[in-house]
Amino acid sequence: MSSEPDLTAEPEEHQHADDGGPQPEKHCGHGRGGMGEEVTRKEDKRFITGRGNYVDDIKKPGMLHCEIVRSPHAHARIEDIDGSRAMALDGVVAVLTADDLLEHDLATMPTLMDDTQDVLVNDKVKFQSQEVAAVIAEDRYTAKDAAEKVEVEYDVLEPVVDAEEALEDDAPLIRDELDDQEDNHIFDWETGDKEATQEVFDEAAVTVEEQMEYQRLHPAPIETCGAVADWDPGKDKMTVHMTSQAPHAHRTLFSQVSGIPEHKVRIVSPDVGGGFGNKVPIYPGYVVAAAASYVLEQPVKWIEERSENIQTTGFARDYDMTGEIAATEDGVIQGVKVDVLANHGAYNAAAQPSKFPAGFFNIFTGSYDVDAAYGSLTGAFTNTAPGGVAYRCSFRVTEAVYLIERMVKVLADELDVDPAEIRRRNFIPSDAFPYESATGWNYDSGDYEKALDKALEMADYEHYREEQQRRIAEDADKLIGIGISSFTEVVGAGPGKQCDIAGIEMFDSADLRVNPTGNAVLRIGVQTQGQGHETTFAQIVAEELGMDVDDITVEHGDTDTEPYGLGTYGSRSTPVAGAAAAVAARKVRDKAKSIAANELEAAEEDIEWDRESGEFHVAGAPDRSITITEIAAGAYMNSPGNEEPGLEAVNYYDPPEMTYPFGSYIVVVEVDRETGEVDFEKFVAVDDCGNRINPMIIEGQIHGGLAQGIGTAMLEHVTYDDNGNVTGGDFMNYLLPTANEIPNFETGHTVTPSPHHPIGAKGVGESPTVGSPPAIVNAVVDAMSHAGTSHVEMPMTPDTVWEELDEVGLSISPSENVSFEFDDGASEEPADD
Amino acid sequence: MTDEREITLTVNGTEHTIEVEPRRLLVHAIREDLDMTGTHIGCDTGNCGACTVLRDGEPIKSCMMFATQADGSEILTVEGMEDLPEAGPELHPLQEGFKEEHGLQCGYCTPGMLMAGKALLDENPDPEEPEIRDAISGNLCRCTGYQNIVSSIEYAAEELEEKAA
Repeated sequence: MSSEPDLTAEPEEHQHADDGGPQPEKHCGHGRGGMGEEVTRKEDKRFITGRGNYVDDIKKPGMLHCEIVRSPHAHARIEDIDGSRAMALDGVVAVLTADDLLEHDLATMPTLMDDTQDVLVNDKVKFQSQEVAAVIAEDRYTAKDAAEKVEVEYDVLEPVVDAEEALEDDAPLIRDELDDQEDNHIFDWETGDKEATQEVFDEAAVTVEEQMEYQRLHPAPIETCGAVADWDPGKDKMTVHMTSQAPHAHRTLFSQVSGIPEHKVRIVSPDVGGGFGNKVPIYPGYVVAAAASYVLEQPVKWIEERSENIQTTGFARDYDMTGEIAATEDGVIQGVKVDVLANHGAYNAAAQPSKFPAGFFNIFTGSYDVDAAYGSLTGAFTNTAPGGVAYRCSFRVTEAVYLIERMVKVLADELDVDPAEIRRRNFIPSDAFPYESATGWNYDSGDYEKALDKALEMADYEHYREEQQRRIAEDADKLIGIGISSFTEVVGAGPGKQCDIAGIEMFDSADLRVNPTGNAVLRIGVQTQGQGHETTFAQIVAEELGMDVDDITVEHGDTDTEPYGLGTYGSRSTPVAGAAAAVAARKVRDKAKSIAANELEAAEEDIEWDRESGEFHVAGAPDRSITITEIAAGAYMNSPGNEEPGLEAVNYYDPPEMTYPFGSYIVVVEVDRETGEVDFEKFVAVDDCGNRINPMIIEGQIHGGLAQGIGTAMLEHVTYDDNGNVTGGDFMNYLLPTANEIPNFETGHTVTPSPHHPIGAKGVGESPTVGSPPAIVNAVVDAMSHAGTSHVEMPMTPDTVWEELDEVGLSISPSENVSFEFDDGASEEPADD
Repeated sequence: MTDEREITLTVNGTEHTIEVEPRRLLVHAIREDLDMTGTHIGCDTGNCGACTVLRDGEPIKSCMMFATQADGSEILTVEGMEDLPEAGPELHPLQEGFKEEHGLQCGYCTPGMLMAGKALLDENPDPEEPEIRDAISGNLCRCTGYQNIVSSIEYAAEELEEKAA
């Protein structure tokens, strides 16, 4: 079909000039804002003028405020809850406990992993800051006052926050309310061929092993989670405005949990101030607000504070991993083995497809052609908040990529082979796609060497290798380290036969309606949280129908009007709903052809679509042409007899496969031997997400994800003490990178389209956070590997790095002329540490 | 409520007299009493800067000040930017810069960032990159990785310089 994009065409490559100057012309290509054009964002205007509409901006007549009373203990039995002093305060409307929710069967709720989580606890709290009671009051200050006055009597129990300790025989039993739960073990999972892998390891010339922790992180979107629930007793309808990445799935779950029929539940996800996976699960606060609104018949707002967000909503990672590689003496990888201990917190509430208890962790053979692989994983309950799958992880791909990319560096050091060279020797060759991995993934397309070559060139790799050796030879105070990560992502969940969320297949959808005057509304089943869907989805339609991007409005987030979709996470929007948008537009185009024939008074088979001009014309007579605007008028005012009036189409897209974007990242660091401080000298990211819808938006996604990768590697950690107190649970202690910690990134790309995707596009949003942490750690390790360092745990704070420097004999005493200087912000040096 | 005080805030050039409890945070007074919801709340420890406004020309985190402390002040919020003398027919150069340079994604930090950027350019119309990074180091952004925000502020600096010339 001549109208399809040519997926085999040699794509144009360019390296974005990071000159920071204004771009004179954002529209390029056809000039209509279609595929590949750097269209500025439609959504920007409301955000830069303060006219966004986030949950806490919503104000309804009679709206009440909800404040949650939280447990100060990590593990304690509740003896008594007394809300009488709180109720006595002026302006307090209700104090809710589990007993009140029990009346409506809402005291517990199902998680996405077949577990049950307490909404409010009446028996035993299982992590610090857990929800115990809720106060509903006329304003938020009174609600807070009242929450302080709710008296809860606890019988404190011994907590366990470490997964390994939780699995010991004498560990305190956390989930004693479950009949068949005799210890803190949740599940075992395995992947690959154990025997074949063991055989490979038994016979291998070289084996390496390393143990590494992927520490507990938190996505920490700048907007926390919140909701405004509004029960309308006149219509028997529940409307919940909430910070939701998956409003339709949340509607179904709300309906199932509450018993309110689904057509009487409306979830609206308005503008969302960042999600990063944090806003996929349902949290007790949403349920409490909805229950309170139902009982009180008034709107109820619940907005959590930052510390509540970090301490109680979905965390990320917390995998304790042991990786092994078997290889030949030449560094050809033959086998990969992984053993993981996963801390899931007090409930198994990981937000992932139901048949994947360890997400897509078994993508851990990475970009390499590996004969045999085996992975085993054990999940454990601890007295910590639930979660695990969040923060640009693509369902545990962050952990998988970290594991393999760290191990490849370990192998390279063991064999004294350059880390770039060892990757080259093991890459899945570009002509081997589609490639079935040893753990059963079917990679769609890739050209890994090309991306690595580009990154090496951009990073001036040879120069830094020489500089590294020079510094070692000169015993310099600052060492150079170069880290590489050549990762493969797996995004776009997913094929309905394998992937479902709470039973619902992971398709997604688009509903395109063209108006009589030729503009259109596209409604999508995914929900942007800043990724620019209102712009990029319009670009897909603009491309497919030859429309101007400004003539297409994209709507999302309202379950009453949008088609059912599974939401935005796992970088699935472009792979799934992006495909649906293209297919819906092509359906419209097919119908438009019939109308075009009618309007042009030609036979339908003589009508051709010209993607360049965005017009239909009669074959052999390009001047007899018609645009979609004219066709739209015809659809309503002069519809052909063989077609219904109107011009619209819907597509629910069940993806045949996942998409597998990839990239090569190279990080050059300078490590200070006196202080353990790490400075970024160079940060190169080459990504390949197939055909690119909007390069400007992709680049923004990359920048943001790399900054989160730096946060991950250098700063962020949700920590607990032995008593189960969260010691890294607010922005004083959970450190997000500021503009001063983030360097300028150099981004590049190659284009290897996904052969199965309607527009050849792959997801990309999570690639940078998946790909960058191992590159950063590899760089720091690389700076010290000549002295014997094989691993440094994240976050690589100055003291962590200094300890390693000291361990391998590289630390040096502070120089004599040390002085404490305070940066006044006017120094000449780029502040890029 | 008990013990409310009458205060006067001049916000974006318009004088408002409201009654607030002494403990009421300025950010809540702006958002809830005056219904200007562009100013956001992103933390509870004074770190994120999503609530940054200009008070008598100085950038402050409005979650760290009681409304009563701001009695009698001139406050600029994001809603007032497009009406400033240096603004174009539709937008302020900083707002333009953020759009042109893709300096925002979810938009939640943006109002505070714009205020921090304005405070910087008022004091230093031609800042170097490290100065820009330093000036916005009290403002956390989780989406952009900051690079395009720096470009956005540079864009505005150039635009403002052209206008002044």
